[in-house]
Amino acid sequence: MNPEFVRTICPYCGTGCGVILRVEGGIVVGTYPDKGHPVSRGTLCIKGWTAHEFIHNPDRLTTPLLRRGDRFEEIPWEEAISLAAEKLAALAERYGGDAVGGLCSAKCTNEENYLFQKLMRTAFRTNNVDHCARLCHAPTAAGMAQTTGSGAMTNSIGDLAGAECILIVGSNAAESHPIIMGEIYKGADRGASLIVVDPRRTTVARNADIHLRINPGTDIPLLCGMMRHIVDVGLHDRAFIQERMDGFAEFKAFLHTWPVEKASRECGIGADEIRRVAEIYGQVKDAAIVYCMGITQHACGTANVQAICDLAMLCGHIGKAHSGVYPLRGQNNVQGSCDMGGLPNVYPGYQNVSDPAVQEKFQKAWGRELSPRPGLTVTEMIGAAGKEIRALYIMAENPAVSDPDVRHVLEGLAKLDFLIVQDIFLTETARCAHLVLPAACFAEKTGTYTNTERRFQLLCKAVDPPGEAKGDFEILCLLAKALGLDFSYRHPSEVMEEIAALAPAYGGISFDRLAPAGLQWPCPEPGHPGTPFLHERTFTRGRGLFVVPSYTPPYEKPDEEFPYYLSTGRMFAHYHTGTMTRRSPFLNRELAEPYAEINPEDARGAGIVAGDRIRITSRRGAIVTTARITDWVDKGCIFAPFHFTEARANILTNPVVDPICKIPEFKVCAVKMEKEGHEKQER
Amino acid sequence: MDLVEMPDPLKEIVKSVLVERRADGVLGLRAYEGGIIQPYVFEAPGRVEALVTEPKWLLAKTAMSILRSSREGYRLAVISRGCDERALTELVKRNQIEKGRLLTIGIACSAEQASVCLCERPYPENLAAGEPVAGVDPFQDKAVQELLTGDGPARMEKWAKLLKRCIKCYGCRNSCPICVCTPCKLEDEVWVERGVIPAEMMAFHLIRAFHLADTCVACKACQEACPVNIPLFALQISMREALKTTYGYEAGLDPERRSPLLYDLYKEPGKGRVLPDWINTLGKDNES
Repeated sequence: MNPEFVRTICPYCGTGCGVILRVEGGIVVGTYPDKGHPVSRGTLCIKGWTAHEFIHNPDRLTTPLLRRGDRFEEIPWEEAISLAAEKLAALAERYGGDAVGGLCSAKCTNEENYLFQKLMRTAFRTNNVDHCARLCHAPTAAGMAQTTGSGAMTNSIGDLAGAECILIVGSNAAESHPIIMGEIYKGADRGASLIVVDPRRTTVARNADIHLRINPGTDIPLLCGMMRHIVDVGLHDRAFIQERMDGFAEFKAFLHTWPVEKASRECGIGADEIRRVAEIYGQVKDAAIVYCMGITQHACGTANVQAICDLAMLCGHIGKAHSGVYPLRGQNNVQGSCDMGGLPNVYPGYQNVSDPAVQEKFQKAWGRELSPRPGLTVTEMIGAAGKEIRALYIMAENPAVSDPDVRHVLEGLAKLDFLIVQDIFLTETARCAHLVLPAACFAEKTGTYTNTERRFQLLCKAVDPPGEAKGDFEILCLLAKALGLDFSYRHPSEVMEEIAALAPAYGGISFDRLAPAGLQWPCPEPGHPGTPFLHERTFTRGRGLFVVPSYTPPYEKPDEEFPYYLSTGRMFAHYHTGTMTRRSPFLNRELAEPYAEINPEDARGAGIVAGDRIRITSRRGAIVTTARITDWVDKGCIFAPFHFTEARANILTNPVVDPICKIPEFKVCAVKMEKEGHEKQER
Repeated sequence: MDLVEMPDPLKEIVKSVLVERRADGVLGLRAYEGGIIQPYVFEAPGRVEALVTEPKWLLAKTAMSILRSSREGYRLAVISRGCDERALTELVKRNQIEKGRLLTIGIACSAEQASVCLCERPYPENLAAGEPVAGVDPFQDKAVQELLTGDGPARMEKWAKLLKRCIKCYGCRNSCPICVCTPCKLEDEVWVERGVIPAEMMAFHLIRAFHLADTCVACKACQEACPVNIPLFALQISMREALKTTYGYEAGLDPERRSPLLYDLYKEPGKGRVLPDWINTLGKDNES
């Protein structure tokens, strides 16, 4: 017996921490932190420490499943692959390639995402490829690309420890990105001001120097008020603006429409407090802005991101170490799945599908004719299910829990002529499928993940997949072959070679360069050391651009019938739709049941005490959950984590989307609440 | 250019342990191509060339779990720094490791490592390779002094602020080489509320610290594993110091001597019945 230790990457959030899996006789028996990892340096959060616990869960899918009536039947792989290929090809033949859509996955490797979009684009000549990045950082890609030219975190996680001011807007990093929070605390311990903007008194807010508890969805008024004051008192970086920025005159004129007092009325923060915070951010040498879903998951998400970038550029806090803009990406490989072209409008490396030169290049490389029309987004595909979209191929995504207004999602999935779901468990989405393909989890495959700071890292196989389950790489190659494509890759590293040849930003990335610390893109050629921070001398787009953010208040406001704001998010012990964490015994012991946070005053008014079963209802549906009474939520606000299938918070959320990037407004909707069985008890 | 390498005494020792079958495997760190370093059980003498001793990576708990799951009679040698050796000694004393199945191969820490760790004994009792360097007195460290001395209420406030950051990763417990109780008190809902952070100061952190009062070997693994930089080491060293001054006892040093807190207090020096000064370390104004 020789116990093995396999160094790999944590499967949960976008921080990309290093884990060492301990393997005994083909079973992963433990997870240890990797002392030598450049980001996590021997630390992990509660989810990382327990990352092995779901791997050998008896619920794992082990054979392909075919729906017959209302039950699933096990079928052999050959049958599953040929059926999948036949059905997809037949529907594409009958209705056109754009009748087929695919969701790739922020949980899968770069190589798998690359193959997935290549398969969709070449086999069906469609750009209907998207994934859950639409639901988290689509506004980042859109907003930052417009202002700076690159939709990715400008700096490195380690830079935060050296900032003098850290402004955190709409991120509860202490629960959602705990290892990044450690770097933020290092900065605070060295004297950085920690300023948090959030309607909730989150764990981050409770540990901040200043907490601005804004009204939900009023980030733009606050940021504009701050910028107006910065310009008024002359704290903006004139030299930086003159040398490197466009659009300042128009932008300055726009700021005149946001006097600090007006901003104050809108966002609910005192004018003096806005001025004080603006001065702290404007005065220091190096300041960082960290943001997350609180900025992006709004119907004006793209404008929110633009306003964040405007603030950083106004003060010259970008393009150097310890400053910059830090969108914290949610999934372990959501940066990579976007980088690999898992989006309806771009090929790998953010090369536009409607640019004829780009199309020509990819047609030549892939040997197939490609569609110049941008495809549909996640929410559009599901909205069009049974209409323009006849078949969906979903790889490791769970829209039946993660998407807004899930009743509508389930209705859409039910209307499809053919639905293929490829996953490690029989998820809520897989239950709707005609064909389920059993896949491998993070510990069972090799490839690369890209973390939130653009770092390509090696994922190493520790054990074999259970039963007949196969890695997504292998499944994609089999399906491609059945569809008549030449996917004769023997190893994921060969796919990486192809990616490097086609996407200039990753031109210097290859498997043999990724140990031990990985490489941060852009890394254009083989000898290139990678890029710790972007926009050093010039912006990716050349000159930076001030963009006027167009503010729209939350679509739904509390009214007589639905008197509370609901916001949704994550809590520390679980992850996203709970497919993995809720199968971890340790995490489940920490928290096994859904809950909603309610302000004590509201609870008194509604006659609710801690532990009561409550019903929360929005215009779209209702859930029953358990009340937690806490002033972490403001009066008139309710918070519900979205991890729990038995009380899917996304039954309630509003599917209204941002006009530019189509992200739904997860963060704000109007609800009512009542004690479950209340009337009965009164009788 | 080919470099002729001098024979490395540690590698020679490890090889001979394997060749002479004094152990079936040697747990240490292995360097892989590309610069990756991770724990590894050396069983083939030919692999020993890849053995390295940096970075500091405590292996005692891993050794325990390997011995628990390996076949009967499997003997494991562990490349041990001073803290690892002390932790293994404690695990043997507490019947977590079968003595006859364990061998330690002691290595000394560098002076730099000792000062990072504030380590009083940066070397094992059984030293196989390396030159021992002098220990560091942690109580002379300025940051430690700020955490442990001075105005009580101000100190309390400082600790409360730091402990409020706790994200309940359980890393302090998981990484501690001698934190081995099952069931663990920290998972008991009677003491620690589930599903919320921060973990409560008294219920979580002080239970954990006091449970280790007489076993802590000052390896600093808890603090190194803390993602939010809570100075957990400073919570332990006062208790270690108290045991040292009151009973002349140090965890992990003497394999035969049991903890005075567990075993026959009356036979220990009489000072044990007097309240020592350190009891008051968090200040008399605790009630405020």
